[in-house]
Amino acid sequence: MKASLFCTTRYDGPASHTEWPAPTDTYLAEWGELSMRKTLEQFQLGDELGFDWVTVAEHHFAPFSMTPNPMVMAAALVGVVKRAKIAVLGPDIPILDPVRVAEELAMVDAMTNGRVIAGLMRGSANEYVTYNVNPAESRERFDEAFQLIRMAWTETQPFGWQGRYYEYRSISCWPKPSQLPHPPIYMSTASPEAGEFAARHRVGAGFAFTTLQIASKAAKHYREQCRIHGWEPTPEQVIYRLAMHVADTDEQAIEEMSSAGGGLPSLGLSFRNKAVEQAAAASGYYGRDIETQRERLQSRGAVMDRIEKGQIIVGSPETALKQIKRIRDELGAGVLDLAVASQLGDKTTRAIELFGTKVLPRMHEL
Amino acid sequence: MTAFSTEFVQADGFRIRYRAAGDGEPLICLHGGGGLRISRAHEMLAERRRVIAFEIPGFGESPENTRSESLEALAHSMNAAVAALDVAGFGLMGNSFGTKLALWMAIVRPAPVRAIVLVAPAAIREDARASPANVSPEQSASLLYAHPDRQPAVAPPLPDIEAKQRALTRRLLGPPRDAAFEARLRELETPVLALFGTADRVTPPTAAHLYREILPNCHNVMVYDAAHAIDAERPEAVASVVEDFLDRQARFLVRHTSGLIHP
Repeated sequence: MKASLFCTTRYDGPASHTEWPAPTDTYLAEWGELSMRKTLEQFQLGDELGFDWVTVAEHHFAPFSMTPNPMVMAAALVGVVKRAKIAVLGPDIPILDPVRVAEELAMVDAMTNGRVIAGLMRGSANEYVTYNVNPAESRERFDEAFQLIRMAWTETQPFGWQGRYYEYRSISCWPKPSQLPHPPIYMSTASPEAGEFAARHRVGAGFAFTTLQIASKAAKHYREQCRIHGWEPTPEQVIYRLAMHVADTDEQAIEEMSSAGGGLPSLGLSFRNKAVEQAAAASGYYGRDIETQRERLQSRGAVMDRIEKGQIIVGSPETALKQIKRIRDELGAGVLDLAVASQLGDKTTRAIELFGTKVLPRMHEL
Repeated sequence: MTAFSTEFVQADGFRIRYRAAGDGEPLICLHGGGGLRISRAHEMLAERRRVIAFEIPGFGESPENTRSESLEALAHSMNAAVAALDVAGFGLMGNSFGTKLALWMAIVRPAPVRAIVLVAPAAIREDARASPANVSPEQSASLLYAHPDRQPAVAPPLPDIEAKQRALTRRLLGPPRDAAFEARLRELETPVLALFGTADRVTPPTAAHLYREILPNCHNVMVYDAAHAIDAERPEAVASVVEDFLDRQARFLVRHTSGLIHP
């Protein structure tokens, strides 16, 4: 199995974590700059310790993650992360200019000698407010942007695009990606529609902000669809994202994680704005499996409960390994995307070190 | 909806049926191997120009065409038909099989051709691909349309007409790569717009680069979520880019309409 280190670039100063968009009235430049520096340090440490990937992601208008453009962070990592793959998981393509996405990912791929993992995401419902895009059109925009990005990477002659949502008279992507025909592509496959799309287009699957039970059901659907389309995903083509905190003992890890509020915010950003979430739900954003999709984003509880649900890895290195084996057995994920609770400061650094030295070598053998 | 009349013209010994509508700059259209059909895109284009869609001799109810020895020879006949209609400068649009005929017409008589539009072109092909001919109606529909369920039901052509058309297409289309033809294309200065459906398995967009590499003045545009019958499947998308290209040729690269949403 492989591990990716996901540092969300959380704003560590006082800020609202219960509403979206979060007001910036408490923002201080010093805190913001410190958060950026810490993120780079943590990624560097993860790279030195042997993490296979490092992850950056796109979120807007929230102190939970200050990388609204993950490409900027990915580019900043070029000189910092010397070995690990840089997983951009990812740009929210329906709200962006897909040609720009293709160009930026290709740039980072060229700058890292072909170390980019391209997660092409739909983005959570609230992100549609960001650039004023109708969430009712999100899946159709995703489908089109996805195909356009892939063609921008592979087509060798300038071409125009007469789409439904995008129109360009001429496209010719310079640089091309270093990886041929293009970087490995992943998408979020939480919904059945997305699993079907990923299978049809032969791309990897990702599960985040979910539970092991819900993700396992979605992964089963994805694999069935892959079979229908005549291929079988490799273990590495299934990523599972969850929070991680490792300490010397189970008790210490649980206590530290509890003090950090359980690690990752357990409530999806959409649910921090009821009006936005309800309007997006009414627009059809969630698709045909709306109940499960809303449930997984609201799933929360105490640390022990979240361990049980497979939402966090918490404990001593030995316990962490057991939890990892369970995820492998139930979900068949080949890559764990591990979000660390950066607000714990030195304890987070220690967790990354412990994981890298005591867990990762054994995880690689699984 | 623009009403198309049905008329005939005598040219080079053929009695050629054509359908026409609209006023303005003429656009000569040449159909694909399935025969003459007027799509919604033709109707939209006829709102601002004169659209003349020929039925190639040997297609539809016209007598079997054993006289045209090659597409080059047929191109001379079609140019004679255009001349007989007293059309001076014009745009030329072909679908699939008709694209190779359109290119030959421009090669043998380039002067009056202002611009060429190739819709799902079969003129240069990578290799043997799926064909909507000689398969079941369901298979044919799945090759012509990315979404066959969204298309109105159309009665298939009569078997003898279909067989006649297929034989003629096969005889005249030529090999996927035709060195002599491509050598002529390399000298064709006329602006060309080539449209490819992203879901087309008959003339797939993977061949698009060949048109750019061979034609000196070619612009490729991918029409998203369309299979081989691009103009029937995405008529608005096709008509808008074709209209712009016919009006402005290479300058169509630069958007000239306002992006203003609220004044």
